[in-house]
Amino acid sequence: MMGSKLKRIGWIGFILVITFAWIAAPVWAGKKDDVLNIAWEKELETLNLYYQTAREGVILGRHIFDRLIHRDPESGEYKGCLAKSFKWIDSVTMEFELREGITFHNGEKFDADDVVFTLNHMSNPENKVKVYQYVGWIKNAEKLGPYKVKINLKDPTPAAFEFLAGPVMIYPDEYYQKVGMKEFGVAPIGTGPYKVVKVTPGKEIVMKKNENYFKESPKGQPVIGTIRQRTIPEANTKMAELMTGGLDWIWHIPKDQAEKLAQMPNIDVVAAETMRVGFLYFLLDSPQVKTPFTDIRVRKAVAHAIDREAIVKNLVGGDSKVVHTTCYPKQFGCTEEGVTKYDYNPEKAKKLLAEAGYPNGLDVDLHAYRDRPYAEAVVNYLRDSGIRAKLQYMQYSALREIGRARKVPMAFWTWGSNSVYDISAFVGNWYKGTGDDVIRDPQVMEWLNKGDTSIDPAVRKENYKKALQKITEQAYTVPLFTWVANYAFSKELDFKAWPDEIPRFYMSKWK
Amino acid sequence: MIVYTLKRLGLAALVAITVSIISFMLIRLSGDPAIALAGENATSEQIEFIRIQYGFDRPLVIQYLDWAHRALQADFGESPYFQQPVTRIIGDRIGVTLKLGVMSLIFAVAVSIPMGVLASIRPNTWIDRIALSISVMGQAMPSFWFGLIMIIVLGVWLRLLPISGTDSFAHYIMPTIALGYYGIPAFMRLTRSGMLEVLSSDHIRTARAKGLRWGKVLFKHALRNAIIPVVALAAVQLGFMLGGSIVIESVFALHGIGYLAWESIGRRDLPVVQAIVLLLSMIFVALTLLSDIINAFLDPRIRVK
Amino acid sequence: MATSAPISKILDAGLGETVIFPSPGQVIRRRMRRHKGLIIGGIAVLLTFLVAVFAPVLAPHDPYAQDLSKRLIPPFWHEKGTWDHPLGTDNLGRDYLSRVVYGCRISLIIGFSIMLIAVTIGTTMGILAGYFGGTVDMVVSFLVTVRLALPAVLVALAVVVLIGGSMTVVIVALGFLIWARAAVVIRASTQQIRSQDYVAAAQAAGCSTIRILLTEILPNLADNLVVVATLEIGRAILLEAALSFLGMGVQPPTPSWGLMISEGKEFMLFFPYLITIPGTALFILVLGMNLLGDGIRDVTAPEGRT
Repeated sequence: MMGSKLKRIGWIGFILVITFAWIAAPVWAGKKDDVLNIAWEKELETLNLYYQTAREGVILGRHIFDRLIHRDPESGEYKGCLAKSFKWIDSVTMEFELREGITFHNGEKFDADDVVFTLNHMSNPENKVKVYQYVGWIKNAEKLGPYKVKINLKDPTPAAFEFLAGPVMIYPDEYYQKVGMKEFGVAPIGTGPYKVVKVTPGKEIVMKKNENYFKESPKGQPVIGTIRQRTIPEANTKMAELMTGGLDWIWHIPKDQAEKLAQMPNIDVVAAETMRVGFLYFLLDSPQVKTPFTDIRVRKAVAHAIDREAIVKNLVGGDSKVVHTTCYPKQFGCTEEGVTKYDYNPEKAKKLLAEAGYPNGLDVDLHAYRDRPYAEAVVNYLRDSGIRAKLQYMQYSALREIGRARKVPMAFWTWGSNSVYDISAFVGNWYKGTGDDVIRDPQVMEWLNKGDTSIDPAVRKENYKKALQKITEQAYTVPLFTWVANYAFSKELDFKAWPDEIPRFYMSKWK
Repeated sequence: MIVYTLKRLGLAALVAITVSIISFMLIRLSGDPAIALAGENATSEQIEFIRIQYGFDRPLVIQYLDWAHRALQADFGESPYFQQPVTRIIGDRIGVTLKLGVMSLIFAVAVSIPMGVLASIRPNTWIDRIALSISVMGQAMPSFWFGLIMIIVLGVWLRLLPISGTDSFAHYIMPTIALGYYGIPAFMRLTRSGMLEVLSSDHIRTARAKGLRWGKVLFKHALRNAIIPVVALAAVQLGFMLGGSIVIESVFALHGIGYLAWESIGRRDLPVVQAIVLLLSMIFVALTLLSDIINAFLDPRIRVK
Repeated sequence: MATSAPISKILDAGLGETVIFPSPGQVIRRRMRRHKGLIIGGIAVLLTFLVAVFAPVLAPHDPYAQDLSKRLIPPFWHEKGTWDHPLGTDNLGRDYLSRVVYGCRISLIIGFSIMLIAVTIGTTMGILAGYFGGTVDMVVSFLVTVRLALPAVLVALAVVVLIGGSMTVVIVALGFLIWARAAVVIRASTQQIRSQDYVAAAQAAGCSTIRILLTEILPNLADNLVVVATLEIGRAILLEAALSFLGMGVQPPTPSWGLMISEGKEFMLFFPYLITIPGTALFILVLGMNLLGDGIRDVTAPEGRT
């Protein structure tokens, strides 16, 4: 009898201990603790940001790392960041004077070696960065002194400043070489306003304010002490957490829910235009799959089948606009002048299909990876014109993989140009023979090349225009509309949204 | 007992091997793994190179043996998505799933056994009917629906419980109920039928006739006998719950292996999927083996059968 | 048979081992009238069947017709509801009543097809194991154990994604994954029937094995088969809904109830009708199937109620 009683007490004790172990775990929340809780649905594959293309990675990149130059989001002006000053020597040579006294988060000193290493390493095709367009223009970087660097370009590259101010982050050379490409992805070290203190891959990332952030930084000084990012896949869960104070900031909220959230007393909602443009991208030919889009009439039929105005007005809302070319209208070189526009005309679509040999319509898959309702609306419009599209919805990385392997006849893509205000960041990835390009029209590639490498703005514009005209005339893609990002956040948070779709928490503070 | 245990062990090993073959083959459904690994813009020489480098040119049997050999040493290769060893990724997350599974099991047992006992003492009364209704409704309600409704009611309206994450014990309450609820019908029916059977048996009648207190008879004699199959069921249900946590984990943003599996399937991160299928199957095999042995230990008749 | 005892016991938790006695029709009819669950379940199932059959008559609109200018109109009981769209419209302006009505068809077709595959496989295995015993029984029990060890939802997801999502793939994948319960139940019943006198008589009369299986065993399994089949339909529909919820079931724009819940779930907090309507429909159908299945078992073999 005694024994069983002891055993029982032992069990109760055991259960209590375990229970307390759970309860004791800290619960972090909001302004009170100076912790900014944010969430998005994406699991990032790596924090080695040259090896991923997701928007969320771009955002983290602005917080963890700095670049040689900084583009002021307000004025659009280029300012020295890690570089004190910079100048063009000639059209293929740039020179940078670096700031002294900056340290990386691990204490490593920042100097010319870091810059030279990063640029030479990432621009080496053998190291296979994900978007080669951003670094491919670099021939090499040379160290001129401990704080002086020269970059040699392959060809004149007018967009070089844009790339240097955006995707080209500076890594610490010693640390990177020591830990290697993969380990860097879970323990990144930069000079930026926030340092990563904890990474649970796919689950959460905790960043703390960099107390030693260099005072001269044009990005300003970080205010909020801790940023904790969580991955929450369920939209309702995310919104419920925001409503109850478990989160302070979320985004990518569909229009209708954003309108409802805006009515809540403790939540602010901002709808901001973004640089993201959506489009349908065709596979013209492939050894792997059958594609009906070899025939230009089928491509044109798709273009005529979709009522883009209705989608923009009813589904996307905000400042979203229909576009007729695959680029963001405010990017340098982006134009709709002289391009072929396709109006919403289901009758014409059916006629084109019949001419192409599909009088009874055709069956095809539409692949998509985000904003499922938009993709479904497109599917339904196609159906009305006899194109019975089945939606294959999958994750971004998976779609990118099979798309590049030429297995996707038609995909609903979007592109945010990595927030670079130059058309080369957009069309360079989709029509220039590298990256995601599976169309590979040699003439388009040649025009784009000329545009990318001329320093005369007029010549650049002329060549991009020609390329865009050919692309639309051939209906290689169906440009759809620009994106709107709905941000919802706690009323206690001072947050400003920018059109380049990069939330800058280092500029946020508590009210 | 030893012979019986050895027999069960042999069978479990056989099942384990078969399951491992299935999870190995599952991944081959996607076509040529060399093409997938070679990635974008790979030339046919590069694909050929990878095929040889990874040994995809060898006979399937050899490839399987090689894979199984490494799997036995907890080496499942590297995830192409995370570029990290699969074992490390799973190791980071399995704790959450195990916690959720065990808690759900405890919840299910704690609710269903009293319910089953009550229902068996008063068969065909309103208590019995309510217990039955709960179990019937539970089987008809999609678990994600139940989970989302709990979030709205308990999380948003009443603000009683935290909604998502794994920061504290309280975070596990809603997911535990949502997952555990689906174990209740089976436990309850089993307890109820077991109790009914035992209560009508001779030795209980004898015990009552001897004038023993009803409560004592009920718990000391009847429940002890009726509970034997429940123990076996518990082990198996834990296996089902671990496998079924995939939906619940995504609703409550618990980053366990269920959610990992779902995400990995979506991004074609096949080595991770393969490892999780294998792991969950192996846990199930181990649990059934355990339950068989416990069962045989508690009920000597099984050993002889 | 060592391998199967615990497993069968476990799986029977939901179904009960059934002993078949030929009962006079009168007794059964009287039991049926008294069995509330059976009546409620029967009515629910009958109604869903009728809705599925008469879908084109009942649906006021084309379930696929999208009108983006009429999005998210609430159902009639809401002050802003209209009778033109009694159950409102969805996120893409499609008539929700029409989608629920056509979704009934899709969900029933999915449930039935999966059940047919699962029950065919399960029954074949169960009969063979139960009748022949010995090595055959051992092999079947082994297969059942292997199947149970595999996490069903996960394997189904993987198969659907790797082969490519379509209704056929979903049906076949799930059909091949949920036969185990049917096999276990049918095996147990077959063992009982085999020991009956009439089977022994047929064996003594020199009937061929196939003939005995088809004319003596199978007909006597009929009650059990109906029970298993109804319960499996419910399970299959729920599983399909779970796959659709995870975004890997039936592909849009097909209106399956699971897919409707999955599409509506984004709107759950502010437009709850988008998931409560298909959710309730799903609940009623599955509940109906389960009540019907339990009811038939109680009526045909009341001593098997657990």
